[in-house]
Amino acid sequence: MVEDSQEIIGDYQYGFHDPENSTIRFDKGLTEQVVRDISELKNEPEWMTDIRVKAYRHFVERVMPDWGNCSLLNMIDFENVTYFLRSSDKTEKSWDDVPDDIKNTFDRLGIPEAEQKWLGGVTAQYESEAVYHSIREDLEEQGVIFLDMDSGLKQYPEIVKKYFGTVVPHSDNKFSALNTAVWSGGSFLYIPKGVSVEMPVQAYFRINAKNMGQFERTLIIADEGSTVHYVEGCTAPNYSTDSLHSAVVELIAMKGAKIRYSTVQNWSSNVYNLVTKRAVAYQDAVVEWVDGNIGSKLTMKYPSVLLKGEGAHAEVISVAYAGEGQHQDTGAKVHHLASNTTSNILSKSISKGGGRSSYRGLLQVTPKSSGCRSKVVCDALILDEDSRSDTYPTMEIGNSSSDLEHEASVSKVSSDQLFYLMTRGFSEEEAMGLIVNGFFEPFTRELPMEYAVELNKLLELEMEGSIG
Amino acid sequence: MMYHQMPIPPRSEHLWRYTPWHRIHPSKPDVIPSADGIVFKTQDNVSLIETSSTEPTSSEIARTFLHECKGSSYNLSLDNIAEPIHINARCSGHVSVGTLNVEVKGSAVLFIHLTGEPEWAGIRITGTVHPNSQLFYGFINELDSNAKFLRCEDWNLQRDASMENATLSLGGFRCKTDIRTSLNGTGASLRQAITVNADGAQHDDEHVEIHHHHGHTYSDLVMNSACGGSSHFIGTGLLTIAEGANKTDASQVFRNLLLSEKARAEAIPELEVLADDVSAAHGAASAPVDSEQMHYLMSRGLNPVDAQNMIVSGFLNDAFSNLTNAALIKEMRTRLTVHLECELKR
Repeated sequence: MVEDSQEIIGDYQYGFHDPENSTIRFDKGLTEQVVRDISELKNEPEWMTDIRVKAYRHFVERVMPDWGNCSLLNMIDFENVTYFLRSSDKTEKSWDDVPDDIKNTFDRLGIPEAEQKWLGGVTAQYESEAVYHSIREDLEEQGVIFLDMDSGLKQYPEIVKKYFGTVVPHSDNKFSALNTAVWSGGSFLYIPKGVSVEMPVQAYFRINAKNMGQFERTLIIADEGSTVHYVEGCTAPNYSTDSLHSAVVELIAMKGAKIRYSTVQNWSSNVYNLVTKRAVAYQDAVVEWVDGNIGSKLTMKYPSVLLKGEGAHAEVISVAYAGEGQHQDTGAKVHHLASNTTSNILSKSISKGGGRSSYRGLLQVTPKSSGCRSKVVCDALILDEDSRSDTYPTMEIGNSSSDLEHEASVSKVSSDQLFYLMTRGFSEEEAMGLIVNGFFEPFTRELPMEYAVELNKLLELEMEGSIG
Repeated sequence: MMYHQMPIPPRSEHLWRYTPWHRIHPSKPDVIPSADGIVFKTQDNVSLIETSSTEPTSSEIARTFLHECKGSSYNLSLDNIAEPIHINARCSGHVSVGTLNVEVKGSAVLFIHLTGEPEWAGIRITGTVHPNSQLFYGFINELDSNAKFLRCEDWNLQRDASMENATLSLGGFRCKTDIRTSLNGTGASLRQAITVNADGAQHDDEHVEIHHHHGHTYSDLVMNSACGGSSHFIGTGLLTIAEGANKTDASQVFRNLLLSEKARAEAIPELEVLADDVSAAHGAASAPVDSEQMHYLMSRGLNPVDAQNMIVSGFLNDAFSNLTNAALIKEMRTRLTVHLECELKR
């Protein structure tokens, strides 16, 4: 990793940072004692400490992945990461009680304003833990539980114990082991039977310190017939040294439930974003991952759905923008483990300024799953000669009655489209911006309006200077 | 590097994911068996010469293994030959290995028919299609249904060279094919078609790599498989377009037709594009026999078995539709039809 004295902000509008006022900061590096100290500090039950220690040992034994961008992955210096940093002594329910500097950060990110207008609940995580948390009273009255994960473990240990690690076990991969060992923060959301949460609930994750590791853990359980839309956003300051974000997200959609999980990932270009997201969908349940990746240095993220019940459906819409120095290694995995399950995957990517975008997907139909249907579409745009686009799809079909299709294309922006727009008076840059926004439109139309507007602005910023 | 110094490739490499090296090796992976040579025979007027030297070793394990097995080795020079050339490659014994190096100048039509009843057969074919030359090439695998088979091919297409490469994979119990083509000159063009009809407990793993190193190159790959019984078909592809290889036009289509409950198919068409002004696309589909097509044929008086056979035949023949050479298309379709008719009589 590069020298940490120099700081770069550049065009990234969320690259500002605040002076660090931590109440507890662990030394850099990871040992079993660090794992035990995190657990003790949080006053966790013994079973959770045991899970953490077991996961830590697995993390140490497990080798780094030998696929993907190994040269970037091997640059991660696990000894140069701060694994726990507490910025505020407790999670507040009012923004007025949040420390001023942290509140200012979230004000600049527009979170309190958005909460008032269109959100059902908000968790704001700063470094390792949530600093603010609230949920609308009417949802609370209907039995919806929305807490940061640490509070969820304290207040509902039996639910957490029942579901924690059942969708993403610690032994799944090296980074899920790391997350399970040192997790802190994240969201715990439970929707009771038949309850429909009409306004989205949101979590916002912010890294402020240098060389910080953020390892939030999110667990969402939608009971029978319930619906929820969860939105997460993330940003970090630009430093010349690297930070590590390694989250685990587990979704459980019971019979007839529907979960939509939307992400707009906009980490600064010094963040490694190595995330494991997986859902289980039981009979007639629907899980939708709406996943936007704009930032980070290296993202490796493949939202997955295990379709375990008959009639379950998975939908993954993902877009990735890979600019200079970025590698967006994203995709989707759907496992059809029951009959008459269906899935749709739509992936769109843009590579520019030497960036690299990769789609890595898996579509699996087990021998006992009959009548499954799936469609995968990957489109990639390459905007200049220095950039790169890869597609690595895998289809494993074990049942003859299933109908699956995959199609992918890679091309540059059509000169006909550019010409058409320029004859209508747009500059080449404006025309390119319009085409790119149109290319991402299937994704943005699935986002809440405010997010869609923000995303379009972000893309316009990223596209500045892309011509000539 | 020698075979014994090479690490066994991990299953995380998609080339070895479904047919790991130890499953295609004739015995145990640390053994290099003594091999009988595959006997290549052709018409008298063709320059097929047996040599003592085999192709130099490669950094890839299967190619190095075939090199060190020291089977037979032949050179074939084709210089503007009008009539199609048929080579019979006959395998026999416990382990049968052969190497063939082909040089093409002008235009030629070449068929290799692989037959025999070996326990294990391995063939390595390398070839260069020189500038402005054309090769229309068909490979027909009709090995005994108990044989294990490894096939590695490397083709070098030079400036304005064109190649049509068709494969009909019908025989063998467990087959692993790895065909790599490099488009090494501007204007080079490749049309490739692979048809697999697997039945019983057959396992057929077809890997195709197409590398566009220069701009203004063209490639088109179609891979159709029909799997019955408890057979397992794997189609993996890697299409790369190098930096600066602009105006490349490349497409790949993988289609699987699953004919029985226990049949399995995997498709992994990979794409790595490092140039911006290109057109690259791939598609993969897997489905059972279309019930509407069955209904249509049965309403015309066909029984269900005949109707399905007709659909399978049409589907497999369709893979050769992207080829242009009439002699190549006719030979491949004839061989396929004969095979399907024999299957029907069983």
